[in-house]
Amino acid sequence: MVREAARSLRISQVGLRGVVGAGMTAAHVLDFASAFGTFLEPGRCVVVGRDPRASGVMVREGVLAALLACGKDVVDLGIAPSPVIQHTIRRLDAGGGISIGASHNAAEWNALKFFGRNAIYLSTAEANELLDIYHLKKFSFVEWNRLGTLTTDEHALDPYLDDLAAVYDFEALRKFRVVVDCCSGTSSLILRRMNDRFGFQFILINEKMRGVAFAHEPATNRDMVALQLAPLMQPLSADAGFLFDADSDRVAFATENGAAISEEMVLPMLADYLLPHGPGRLVITNVSTTALVDEAVARHGGEVVRVAVGRQAAIDALSTYRPEQIAIAGEGTGATMMPQFRFVYDGIASMLALLSMMCERGAKLSQIVASYPRFSILKGQVPLVTHRIPALLASLRERYADGRASVVDGLRVDWPGRWFHVRVSQTEPVVRIICEQRGDVPRELYGTLIELVRSFA
Amino acid sequence: MPHREHLLKIGVSGIRGVVGEFLTPALACSFAQAFGTYVGGGRVVLGRDTRTSGEMLTHAVACGLLAAGCEVVEIGILPTPTIMMYVAATHAQGGIALTASHNPPEYNALKLFNAQGLFFNNYERAELLDLYHQSDFHQAANEEISSVIADHDAAPKLHFERVLAHVDAERIRKRKFRVALDAVNGAGAVTTPGFLRDLLGCDLEAISVDPTKVFPREAEPKRETLGAIAALVPRCHREIGFAQDPDGDRLAVIDETGVVLDNDDVLALAVDAALRRLPGDVVVNLTTSSVIDDVAAAHGRRVYRTPVGEANVVETMQAVNAVIGGEGSNGGIIFPAVHLCRDSYTGMAFLLDRMAETGEKISTLAARLPKYYRHYGKVAYQHGRLGPLMQSLETRFPAAEKDRSDGLKLLLPEGWIHVRSSNTEPLLRLAVEAKSQATVEKLYAEVLRLFTNPR
Repeated sequence: MVREAARSLRISQVGLRGVVGAGMTAAHVLDFASAFGTFLEPGRCVVVGRDPRASGVMVREGVLAALLACGKDVVDLGIAPSPVIQHTIRRLDAGGGISIGASHNAAEWNALKFFGRNAIYLSTAEANELLDIYHLKKFSFVEWNRLGTLTTDEHALDPYLDDLAAVYDFEALRKFRVVVDCCSGTSSLILRRMNDRFGFQFILINEKMRGVAFAHEPATNRDMVALQLAPLMQPLSADAGFLFDADSDRVAFATENGAAISEEMVLPMLADYLLPHGPGRLVITNVSTTALVDEAVARHGGEVVRVAVGRQAAIDALSTYRPEQIAIAGEGTGATMMPQFRFVYDGIASMLALLSMMCERGAKLSQIVASYPRFSILKGQVPLVTHRIPALLASLRERYADGRASVVDGLRVDWPGRWFHVRVSQTEPVVRIICEQRGDVPRELYGTLIELVRSFA
Repeated sequence: MPHREHLLKIGVSGIRGVVGEFLTPALACSFAQAFGTYVGGGRVVLGRDTRTSGEMLTHAVACGLLAAGCEVVEIGILPTPTIMMYVAATHAQGGIALTASHNPPEYNALKLFNAQGLFFNNYERAELLDLYHQSDFHQAANEEISSVIADHDAAPKLHFERVLAHVDAERIRKRKFRVALDAVNGAGAVTTPGFLRDLLGCDLEAISVDPTKVFPREAEPKRETLGAIAALVPRCHREIGFAQDPDGDRLAVIDETGVVLDNDDVLALAVDAALRRLPGDVVVNLTTSSVIDDVAAAHGRRVYRTPVGEANVVETMQAVNAVIGGEGSNGGIIFPAVHLCRDSYTGMAFLLDRMAETGEKISTLAARLPKYYRHYGKVAYQHGRLGPLMQSLETRFPAAEKDRSDGLKLLLPEGWIHVRSSNTEPLLRLAVEAKSQATVEKLYAEVLRLFTNPR
């Protein structure tokens, strides 16, 4: 357990992540935030917010100290969802921002997520520069009379909601009876305000933000939807149910009849909804995401661009297209970003898009879900113990030589109506294994893959 | 770059340095985490003076304390003695004040207090330093991480109640003293006007009481730096003027004619006031004037001498259960009945109380003290030069009584000489005192000559 926690520290292009105390320490936080303060162009403020984890109190102090020491004026939002932090960065024309929180990880984890100008996640090149500064530990601390100042902003939520209201028909959407599992995270802040200000009918469960024991693991997946949310749908006569992670950038859902839906469905459904509205024709996703995306996009004559797993690859891909070329970008984890919201992972916006889809089609959520062919996906992981990952991938490729192989990220092999993907995680020391097929669960293929990966210890 | 190393000092007196390149947030955070580990978690009080770096360092230190599993009680901008008393009164595990006391504004430091609200003693400091160097900090997990509680009002109230218990406040208020204050835009800017105006009924003319502005003068309250208030006192017909340092532990006093009193004489007046109220002995450092011996003798009390440094004075005061103590030259008055630390507020209250009691002007009270002449000087210092100087002095004054507990102090029939190495700066400090100005200058010149040409 201790060993595992100690190995939890991950410093990468995605930022800093780890189990607090055992892996991620105050010293890491100070140095990483100092690197970010050094990395940013001078002259613009930095927006900071956190999710409700207890360790966020400590991490926030370190982040503030480092940014102020680098001469950055800091706008502190306190406990705030990541999409709101990003919205505030744009609203204030800030130089960037930091979201403190480990989104879908358990409460003992924490992380720093960095945003640059215009609230965009750092590109791989920028993230590499940040890492170089971190490793060099040569930070641009300013003199005593040029230190930054700290202000708070208590009213970041309403301008964010104004932007959502400009895109979605709140008048139409608020008639839905929606149950939301906030999983002790920040989504309750937004949803309660939407109830008060716009008359939405969100019924919140696990809405009390908690620092230590979350109501359950804040992962947006079908198992978590099935745990508490889905069983409430019929008793509460709800039209839809949504589950958010701790910082509200991911979403998963349940239908009105109580079915927990795979998080993989979010992206293909939103692509199906958004493509006819144009102008974007492209859907950017990663090689681990369901093949249903291809079918849904093909219906509208769109095109799927598949990149490596992780936010970084998606961000880099986005920057190579004009915004109007893109309909949506996202992953099978329930994290999607849309051009209307300047490509911010936003679970709330995703939820509103799904509700808008119900509205437009005049259909129940279960009916929309049923309109797609059934794909069954299995996701698993094996602890990363081997150093022979290239050999493992080569042997898998040889064994499954009859399929079409892609090495964009790890190894993906496709057969008609069936595929698998094996890769090393960027955030945890594990090998991830995903396989999917049209129709029934690909249990045999999955089992074989797990065994093959394990045998490479 | 021989000078550069002194821009950061991590030693038994804690951590002090120029903010930015030297005193970084990461250093402050690590040191605070070492402190939090050392005190074993629990509540730790965090306060600061008005330095621009105070806010940044507050966050860095809070981060380190939280990471060590401590709960942080953030009490804001307050004088160091106020912070220390709050630590003791609230039964916290310890406290940290962010202040570089009298150092220039680009400096800051972490001052460390134990559960009694006292500066760490030498043993505690050494242990903490070992822990810091080993980097073996407690790393609190998520569920152990506590919170930051703000409490900005309770501490000054507590401090001033204690001070007023030792003077006749009603007697002072009745006099409606016309008082001037220079709070150097330091922590005193927040609490001293209220203390003098509201609690002691003074008619107050205050300058440099804006805690958001930089120090308008050199931070150490000594004659050369107090021109503004010294001019203000006679111009505005003030009966007395007080000047504080940025963290409100040191006090300088200006008489009604605009003369800045010798800090040794201020201490002597405070010692006199204390000994009139309570029986007991006095502790001062080796460099403090002999006027203290005369005042104590008049009350039939003994004076103990210690090496220079507040910690040394405090340690001896504890050991001999002294009634009052201090360090003359730097304006520190320590009155343990209030708290065992330098406290400018006790000094102000004592002097006003004596003025109210006697009906005398402050200049008259000071003039009644036995008259000594002093010359305090400093010389840029290279290591290794103190030894030869001490040897030469001993040879030159063979009959003198010697004290080698901090450099060398020679007690001569006509006065005394004290040479020592500064604890905080690369300086040799020379002090001479005698009953006549001519003797002082003769002895001082002799010391300088021996320093330049040791025999």
